[in-house]
Amino acid sequence: MKEIFDNQMDIFDDDPLNATGISKKSLVIFFLIDTSASMKGTKMGELNTAMEELMPEIRRIGEADTDIKLAVLTFSTGCSWMYPEPISIEDFEWTRLGAQGITNMGLAFDELSNKLSRNNFLNSPSLSFAPVIFLMTDGYPTDDYKMFLKKLKVNSWYTYALKVALGIGKEANDDMLAEFTNSPDTVVHAYSGGQLAQLIKKIAVTSSQIGSKSMILSDDATRELSDRDVADKKQDQLGKQIKDILDSSEYPSDIPFDSGW
Amino acid sequence: MLELRPGQTVLMEYGGEAKILRTLGSGGQGIVYLAEFNGRKYALKWYDINKIRNPQAFRKNIESNIHDGAPSEKFLWPKFLTKAGAYESFGYMMDLRPEGYDSFVDILNTYKLAIDNATGRAFKVSVQIKSLNSLITAAINIVNAFRQLHRAGKSYQDLNDGGFFINIETGDVVVCDCDNIAPDGYNFGIGGKPGYMAPEIVRGVAKPNVQTDKYSLAVLLFKLLFRGDPLEGEKVVNSICLTEMSELKHYGKEALFVFDPLNPANRPVRGIHDNVLKFWGIYPDYIRDAFVYTFTTGISEPQKRIIENEWQKLFVRLRNEILPCSCGRTTFTSAYEALDKHKLKCQKCGNETPTIVFSNHGYRTPIYEGRKIYDCDIHKISDEFDFVAGEIVENKIKKGVLGIKNLSNKTWNVKMQDGNFYSVSAGNGFPIWDGLEIDFGEVTAKM
Repeated sequence: MKEIFDNQMDIFDDDPLNATGISKKSLVIFFLIDTSASMKGTKMGELNTAMEELMPEIRRIGEADTDIKLAVLTFSTGCSWMYPEPISIEDFEWTRLGAQGITNMGLAFDELSNKLSRNNFLNSPSLSFAPVIFLMTDGYPTDDYKMFLKKLKVNSWYTYALKVALGIGKEANDDMLAEFTNSPDTVVHAYSGGQLAQLIKKIAVTSSQIGSKSMILSDDATRELSDRDVADKKQDQLGKQIKDILDSSEYPSDIPFDSGW
Repeated sequence: MLELRPGQTVLMEYGGEAKILRTLGSGGQGIVYLAEFNGRKYALKWYDINKIRNPQAFRKNIESNIHDGAPSEKFLWPKFLTKAGAYESFGYMMDLRPEGYDSFVDILNTYKLAIDNATGRAFKVSVQIKSLNSLITAAINIVNAFRQLHRAGKSYQDLNDGGFFINIETGDVVVCDCDNIAPDGYNFGIGGKPGYMAPEIVRGVAKPNVQTDKYSLAVLLFKLLFRGDPLEGEKVVNSICLTEMSELKHYGKEALFVFDPLNPANRPVRGIHDNVLKFWGIYPDYIRDAFVYTFTTGISEPQKRIIENEWQKLFVRLRNEILPCSCGRTTFTSAYEALDKHKLKCQKCGNETPTIVFSNHGYRTPIYEGRKIYDCDIHKISDEFDFVAGEIVENKIKKGVLGIKNLSNKTWNVKMQDGNFYSVSAGNGFPIWDGLEIDFGEVTAKM
């Protein structure tokens, strides 16, 4: 009897208004955040506040095309995820972070390699955009990060990911961060609390916009594009937009090194 | 970029100044503010000058658009420019979006986020088009707006779900983001939104123009009706990660419609594209054929894409073929069982509905209480798909007897049961019977 009922329901399920939400592509934004002892105080305060304020700003970016999810990995003496799986931006609640311990960034790279997989954090049944990976640190790794970075670099999700790094204060090393991003253009540096907050927000918003929209028009549309023409376009575009952010008058370059903390 | 602050004033071209009240939103090219000018509130779009390739030409284009005026009242058209040379950047003012319209983005998502004032938390509010009539009316409105725009010799260039707002009660439409509209053949740097861009733009061999607008329009209509992406099926989902290269392939070089009759490699996937799978079967053949044609032949041959006027005719027909059965089932006539004497039978409740045919239609449409007859139904050529010329109503004295009320300003000649024709002037009605014939002037209708 139940079967007949189900069949009947199926036949007359012909209401053109009875839609579910449109299927979306998914974009995971990974935040790798240094929570070592040196981050204590203003740096962590600014970071926590900026992240809380960022949430409603990224919420709108996905529109009807992209389900934006966040995954936050903190590292100090060990490393841990804020939540056990990526959480949709609409449901994400920021847990304020504290700071203690040393800077085992290599551990975080290792943990990230493990989770950058179709069987793990990138398990959306539908299409995914290449993830955005945003690293924030105020120090130099205390462990052998190179070994773990090597492992990360053979992961194809990492290869296609949009990578950006934010160095905080004078201890953070831009060359080391560029090893992570594969490009010095997407490494930025914050020297004051205000700068830190603004850079976190602007970069997170810009990279999720680029990550979820992609497809950049060639400047002169006259010839057929090849794979080579479009490869790394997103990362290049992110580099350019970061340059625009830094060039704008809101980020004066004459701030004394490491002042304002 | 140079952002504006609340309280700040901005000098306007031709004198006066606008006061910035607050931020309304931000987009790819700049920020939109609520502003006050000459005692009225407007939306002011202020550009991030770094994101505009040729600011002078871009500004000049908005200036000519302001001069030309909107092609139809559906467009939220630029009205005033900020004073030239007064600032590093510039902006323009437009009317505020009217109340009661929901973003097409929210309609596709089926919800919007609202903020609880007490806690500051976001919560979901359902957004759904209220009736099938409103849904199809929205499609007609969108198509007609683009017909008017293209008739004015312009192209929209950046047609996508973010630019449309729909009144979910009535199907009325407002088209926003009109600043990239340019004369056909001109482009000031905008490429379009992925998924909506014509394959030839993705491939790099064309810039946005009227033909690429027609492609984007078809995507928009497909999403409105079928709630999915016309090119995203099995082939695309199998690529797992959408990189720049796979996007160039699936949305450009090897774009393949999910219902391509000759190539089944990219069919919608159950569990992911359930809307598309379900709705595709509900719509009548002539609608499906139009999409198949646009997304197969029309992919390689842009000049063969369905023109707006054709879409308009198809959707006017589709709206006429909506049949709300008394049992609560509402769908298109093609889903009901056709009986002798041109009646339609609901397979769910057994109810039978009579039909009528208009001489300019070539298809039969159902007769039920509340059905409206539009001006475009009773004229050979008419764009008045909104203007109600008649309505099927129940007789106020004889309950259960249906008739047609003349709401036009013309007198109709109607054949009554005694075999004679009688004049029915505006405001009057007549009963529906098996041999009914109506002479509207240019057009006639018969049971």
